[in-house]
Amino acid sequence: MKVSLWIGTAVAALIAASAGAQELKFPPGQDARFNWKSYEEFKAGHTDIKGESLTLFGPWRGEDEVLFNSVLAYFNAATGANGRYSSSENYEQQIVIDTQAGSPPNIAIIPQPGLLADLAAKGFLTPLGQETEDWVKKNYGAGESWAGYGVYKGKDGKDQFYGFPYKADLKSLVWYVPENFEEAGYEVPKTMEDLLKLSDQIVEDGGVPWCIGLGSGGATGWPATDWVEDMMLHTQPAETYDKWVKNEIKFDDPAVVGAIEEFGKFAKNDKYVSGGAAAVASTDFRDSPKGMFDIPPKCYLHHQASFISSFFPPDKKLGTDADFFYMPTYAAKPELGTPVLGAGTIIAITKDSPAAKAFIDFLKTPIAHEVWMAQAAFLTPYKGVNPEAYANEPLKKQGEILTSATTFRFDASDLMPGKIGAGAFWTGMIDYVGGKDAKTVATDIQKAWDGLK
Amino acid sequence: MNPAVSLRRIGLPRLLVHLSVLLICLLWLVPTFGLLVTSFREPQQIASSGWWTALTGSSQTSAVRLADAATARQGGANFIISGSVFTEGQQGQVQSFGTRVAAPSEFPAGQTADLGEGESLTVNEDGSYTYIKNAPFGGDRGKRIYLTTATPPSFTTENYRTVLTSQGIGQSFINSLTVAIPSTIIPILISAFAAYALSWMEFPGRGLIIALIIGLMVVPLQMSLIPLLKMYNDVGAFFGLPSRSYVGVWLAHSAFGMPLAIYLLRNYIAGLPKEIIESARVDGASDFEIFLKIVLPLSFPALASFSIFQFLWTWNDLLVAMVFLGTGKDQLVLTGALNALLGSMGGKWEILSASAFVTIIVPIAVFFGLQRYLVRGLLAGSVKGG
Repeated sequence: MKVSLWIGTAVAALIAASAGAQELKFPPGQDARFNWKSYEEFKAGHTDIKGESLTLFGPWRGEDEVLFNSVLAYFNAATGANGRYSSSENYEQQIVIDTQAGSPPNIAIIPQPGLLADLAAKGFLTPLGQETEDWVKKNYGAGESWAGYGVYKGKDGKDQFYGFPYKADLKSLVWYVPENFEEAGYEVPKTMEDLLKLSDQIVEDGGVPWCIGLGSGGATGWPATDWVEDMMLHTQPAETYDKWVKNEIKFDDPAVVGAIEEFGKFAKNDKYVSGGAAAVASTDFRDSPKGMFDIPPKCYLHHQASFISSFFPPDKKLGTDADFFYMPTYAAKPELGTPVLGAGTIIAITKDSPAAKAFIDFLKTPIAHEVWMAQAAFLTPYKGVNPEAYANEPLKKQGEILTSATTFRFDASDLMPGKIGAGAFWTGMIDYVGGKDAKTVATDIQKAWDGLK
Repeated sequence: MNPAVSLRRIGLPRLLVHLSVLLICLLWLVPTFGLLVTSFREPQQIASSGWWTALTGSSQTSAVRLADAATARQGGANFIISGSVFTEGQQGQVQSFGTRVAAPSEFPAGQTADLGEGESLTVNEDGSYTYIKNAPFGGDRGKRIYLTTATPPSFTTENYRTVLTSQGIGQSFINSLTVAIPSTIIPILISAFAAYALSWMEFPGRGLIIALIIGLMVVPLQMSLIPLLKMYNDVGAFFGLPSRSYVGVWLAHSAFGMPLAIYLLRNYIAGLPKEIIESARVDGASDFEIFLKIVLPLSFPALASFSIFQFLWTWNDLLVAMVFLGTGKDQLVLTGALNALLGSMGGKWEILSASAFVTIIVPIAVFFGLQRYLVRGLLAGSVKGG
């Protein structure tokens, strides 16, 4: 056993030595789109953590991992620290295991504020301080809302700011193919009434308006929760939405049942959905938008978050072959304004160190956002970045929707307790499109929630 | 020999058995074959049609964009855009084309279509096109047209190239072997000793220990991850070593494999002829000598069959390796590295299918190397006496 211990340490040493410096994607000081001043300032302000190692753990894998590593490279280059990012398919479970067992990474990146709230309550997170909270409030579009998603109750029961929001997704989007619209003579609808009228028009012309797919392996059902949340924001004031998230109004409240039925207007109408209502639950959400590009098109419209463009066929160019519009509001409900549903990843410190604190500071520099923005699908509510850095026109448009949002609400299912937001809500939605009525489904979900208390 | 005679010779029941075995084999093979075909197809083909359509040529309808207005040249009073609808290296034969999505195959190839407003378009079979207008072209994007093309069956090895050349895959292959081989050998060594003791050495409480070990088989792995890692952290801190190392994974795999190993080996070893062991005792052999010289060689089939089980399980494992070895790029085992290739949202069938065949190579080699022991070993535990 002693031999194997030695081998173990030798391998570990080898691994540590092999982590070399990465190249910077955009050489500092060259491209005027980037805020190099912020990079130099950050560099000058953090000279004390050279050689320190920093472990980061998050949800990004594959291409996203490469992209995040390209951002991290700037942090490493500026500070001389050794930041290393890793991920896992089941990062939600892994972070719970790691924190509870006492070997957490320095930084955890989690897209579910609900999960972070759990970790905070158990005392596994380090507060980021009032100053950082104020910074987010001041510098993010709809900053109060964003900062609110980082505030959790700690072990001592006090509300503190634990989570720094970084990288956002926009969910109130409807995707379409401009040329299909042009050929058929359809106009991008400005109101929800128009959208329904357009859907009827498409049916009348012999087409199918919507592609809706809820399939996602073990997470089947989640795309429907986005629909319901969006409809909730489009039919109810944001305050009701907040109460719903905290279960201060019941899940089977008429407001929520109404929103589910709004979703049903689209998903449960055989004429509206490609493949008929029966195909909704079984169609994979990644394959679902491809129907828009079929010839003749299987559908004309697709409601999904900003990330979905990466699942379009590779030869389709965003802005030319595919475009999006903001999920329009009811003209009959002007008092709701233009609510935006979104999501994002929240960064928290799970093991405090000077390097971890420095990394949070790094996220406050525009450069930490711009490097990713300039490469691929990355949105930020940070108002201090240069919108010109966005890789393409549609991204820039989405970025503007985010920074100019008056009401921003985080994906409710990510805020609810895991057993609801990533459990009963999903299965409830499958039951709903499978034929159960909204009231029964909502009552079932509320029962599951009551069971948690 | 006429068929009736040969049927009588084989016998009807046996024929039925053979046929149903053949059927079951086919049923098992179809998905595997489908996966194999899929792994050689391009992502877009996978998304648009089933693998069974891959073996024959097909005609498919697609949209292409003509060159944009900037490339137009003037010929007399007309403006002309020309080129090929196929990108370089692409092959196919245009059967028909159209300019409206509602009628994507309106015109046969070679015909000149009058599009109104002074525009006309011709697309030839070889893909070359001429697009003529009697006034300058407008718009900032090229015109979209629709083609029905006959495409021969096409396959690609690109998926395998992506998987095999992805960064860190070689390292992860070695990591997987580093995890799997000791994790197979350690539990076998220990459990063979234990199995001998539990079957041939008399001591009080033996039955109870066996029952306890069998009882341990029902403990789910997932339940003990946190306490186990916590313990490693404490032990690691005591020795000043990192808590996540290969030793940790080996121990975890060994511990979780041990109950089944002991149970399987004990049943086999207990079934060895009593006479051999007793006569060895009479001749003055110690327990250790009996174990080493008689029991171990005789129980080779059982050892081999268990090592296949354990190797396959540790090779395919993702969870234990992720928890006890870590998720860093250099610590990933093969399953973890391939999983990371799928990206945050998953759904990449081309990567998934190709990597399935990459991972399967080692288990298949192990299986074929040891398979003649497998059946013997499987029966070993169940049939007593001998």
